[in-house]
Amino acid sequence: MTGTLVETEDRRQYKATRRRGLTVDLSMTLATILAALAIGFLVMLLTGNDPVGAYEAMLTGPLERSFRVGRWLEDATTLTLLGLSVAIPFRARQISLGAESQLYAGALAAAAVAVFLPLPPVVAVIVPLVAAAAAGAGMGLVPGAMKARLGANEIVATLMLNAIVVRVYDYLVNGPLKEPGSSAVHSKSIQQDSALTPLSDWFGIPLGRANVGLLLMVFTAVALWLLITRTPLGYRIRMTGSNPEFAEYGGIRVPRVIEWSFVIGGAVAGLAGAHLVQGVYGRLEPGLAGSLAFEGIVVALLARNNPLVVVVAGLFYSYLRAGGDIMEQQTDVGTEIVVVIQAVIVLLVTAQALPDLLKRRLARREVAGR
Amino acid sequence: MHKAWERSGPAIGARAVTKTYGNGVRAVRGVDLDVPVGEIRAIVGENGAGKSTLMKMFYGLEQPSSGEVLVGGRPRVLGGPASAIGLGVGMVHQNLMLVPSFTVAQNVVLGVEPGRRGRVDLKAAAETTARLAEESGLAVDPNARVDEVSVGMRQRTEILKVLHRGARVLILDEPTAVLTPQETEDLFAAVRRLRDGGMTVLFISHKLREVREISDRVSVMRAGSLVGTVDTSDATERSLAAMMVGRDLSLDVDRAPARRTGVALQVRDVQYAAPTGQSLDGIGFDVAAGEIVGLAGIEGNGQTELAEILAGLRRPTSGAIRVGGTGTAGLDVAGHRRAGIGYVPEDRLRNGAALDESIADNLVVDRHDRAPLARRGLLRPRAVRAHAEQLIEDYAIRTPDASVPVRALSGGNMQKVIVARELSAAPRLLIASQVTRGVDIGAMRFMYERLGAARDAGAGVLLISADLTELLALADRLLVIKDGRLVARFDDTSGLTEKRVGLYMLGVERHDHDHITTGLEEVDAV
Repeated sequence: MTGTLVETEDRRQYKATRRRGLTVDLSMTLATILAALAIGFLVMLLTGNDPVGAYEAMLTGPLERSFRVGRWLEDATTLTLLGLSVAIPFRARQISLGAESQLYAGALAAAAVAVFLPLPPVVAVIVPLVAAAAAGAGMGLVPGAMKARLGANEIVATLMLNAIVVRVYDYLVNGPLKEPGSSAVHSKSIQQDSALTPLSDWFGIPLGRANVGLLLMVFTAVALWLLITRTPLGYRIRMTGSNPEFAEYGGIRVPRVIEWSFVIGGAVAGLAGAHLVQGVYGRLEPGLAGSLAFEGIVVALLARNNPLVVVVAGLFYSYLRAGGDIMEQQTDVGTEIVVVIQAVIVLLVTAQALPDLLKRRLARREVAGR
Repeated sequence: MHKAWERSGPAIGARAVTKTYGNGVRAVRGVDLDVPVGEIRAIVGENGAGKSTLMKMFYGLEQPSSGEVLVGGRPRVLGGPASAIGLGVGMVHQNLMLVPSFTVAQNVVLGVEPGRRGRVDLKAAAETTARLAEESGLAVDPNARVDEVSVGMRQRTEILKVLHRGARVLILDEPTAVLTPQETEDLFAAVRRLRDGGMTVLFISHKLREVREISDRVSVMRAGSLVGTVDTSDATERSLAAMMVGRDLSLDVDRAPARRTGVALQVRDVQYAAPTGQSLDGIGFDVAAGEIVGLAGIEGNGQTELAEILAGLRRPTSGAIRVGGTGTAGLDVAGHRRAGIGYVPEDRLRNGAALDESIADNLVVDRHDRAPLARRGLLRPRAVRAHAEQLIEDYAIRTPDASVPVRALSGGNMQKVIVARELSAAPRLLIASQVTRGVDIGAMRFMYERLGAARDAGAGVLLISADLTELLALADRLLVIKDGRLVARFDDTSGLTEKRVGLYMLGVERHDHDHITTGLEEVDAV
């Protein structure tokens, strides 16, 4: 029935409705964030803390010193790459939770090349990156093929693969790859030429471990956006995700598309691993990724799997993480409150409760006014 | 039973009833309606004209935004179906709502079971059902399980259920859509008998011929408003159609005889063992280029399976299929499309479209990786858009923009998107399944014209439909399928009546095998 309404609109009206829908979406996202902050504020009040001081630390903290900015950007780079890596399978309606295994595979591949293979400058940066992407892609292909060819459940397949790969990684870092003679557990450092250039060198201010991986991340996001919107494969991924039966009916080989979505996502997660090795730590360390792989899923959901929006969501989410750490250092309030805020935002945004409510009210008022 | 009814006044009616939905759509606008006791009133209108919404308000499923609903001569507030039933209003929905594992009698008494202390007296239930069936002329077997009886008997069960609850107003929503001509006749006889006993009947339909046959008067709705009410004896199908769409429009198709120019499709001895659903057994027929072959049959007798095999969505167990010169039995879907098959699927919501994607994207699913839409591995958004705009114009798709998601379109308009895509591929063979299901009369007419035009341009068309009127109007030749086998073949459809075809659909009569396969050339399995 809504249909007849749209059909009778002329093009200008339709565009206006669409523009207004976009404005509503944007302003509602902001309102959602404010609502989440307000809830956090209340929680802090109720638990007898000083919310003003805590928020000051959290919201302005990450920008106060340049190395904190660096900390934020470095974290955002990894997180966004991980968000992008799941956004692609999500677009094909594949619930891939395999970013973790793909990241570790990528990290191992990058480290193997960057530590042991002497290469001329520039090439020494690129080859480990390519190796990481390939390893991640391979690690994505496994659950992808299991789903597409054997009908395995991709959630189970990716989770199990994570469990295996993380153990293998731990074993390698604690054993064969552990730096001889070192008391701490980590691998040998990568060769100087393989490191991703720190941003500090460019801007001449201390930016911590932030590096050109940031640009690589932005470039990847744009490339993926082009892939999704401007290539036949992207079209097939979108149609498969929107209605797989329609895709099949239209002659698209759906299993092939599903495999590709896993492979592409895996390659991007592999890059995230390379970023950690070549840019952040300079070597393999245990528990390299922390909880980032799963926060990447949240970022992808927040961005509704649009690669360009994933960048914004990743930057925002990392900012909250960085701010939460500073808040914990400077005040009595723990990072738990950040978790509360993040959870509220995720709930409201993924449920899209607010925008839909407002759009419906607007539509009703318009009809009443006619 | 219904003391609340006044002696005078309409059995059911509306006073300035308006319904505005939450999303702002005004489905019914200011409708005034009076239906006196003991009348069969047909309500007709295109899809989205507001018939269903009005009926839902009579049955308490929706509440009017303003205005009043009258039952038994007085304004009523119907909080839900329970209060409507309490006032003697019963409704039989298009999709029958019965418990499949219960017997007919158990379904009839469901909710008001005879018996004491929480126990259902099944014998009394069967007796009650048999008595009601006898009185109303709705023949059922009280002790048969519902999932084992025909659709027609299920529908009669549903009506008996309404009668058992003491209905004095009976709302029938598209009751004949699932029936064969014979079953329809029986239903009409029973409805007349109920009317003669004082029942008021609201008959919702878009089949104007049936409306003329059964109703006393006809109310026509258009775009939410009641356009008018006429005595059936004064109305013609044409005048009713004109009232429905607001202009003169007829569904009569005048066609030149088919000019057959070679073979589009050859099917030989196709066997298919279905994991679920209907298996196929020894299907063999031809479709010539330049003709429309109709496939009739009660739904669920293998039409879906056959269509999906021909389109490449299922693999036959054995047999040969050739499209033009290409054997397609081993090819994938894309291969079938390359061989020249276009397919309008029976359920457009399931696999005919990606509802949340734009019209433009929906129009290119079979050609998105070819020039001019893609070059050097890149999609060309401008070409995709131009392609969409061309088809929107050619096929009169009503939309403000090519970027509108298909979900926002009405049934007929959505079907135009699908037909535009399939016909613009210039198929050698078009499989058109239920092409006019749930579309309005304007779009229906449009589909008829386009199918005819495709035929005249040299395409073979296999038209699968549950609507015999449509098949007899369009098809040059007609096949009938029952239980997965072809049971009749008519090489000349002129003079063929729906009733006669109905006998074959029901299995009362059948052609012998030699007649069905006569003149088919041998084709090697590939």
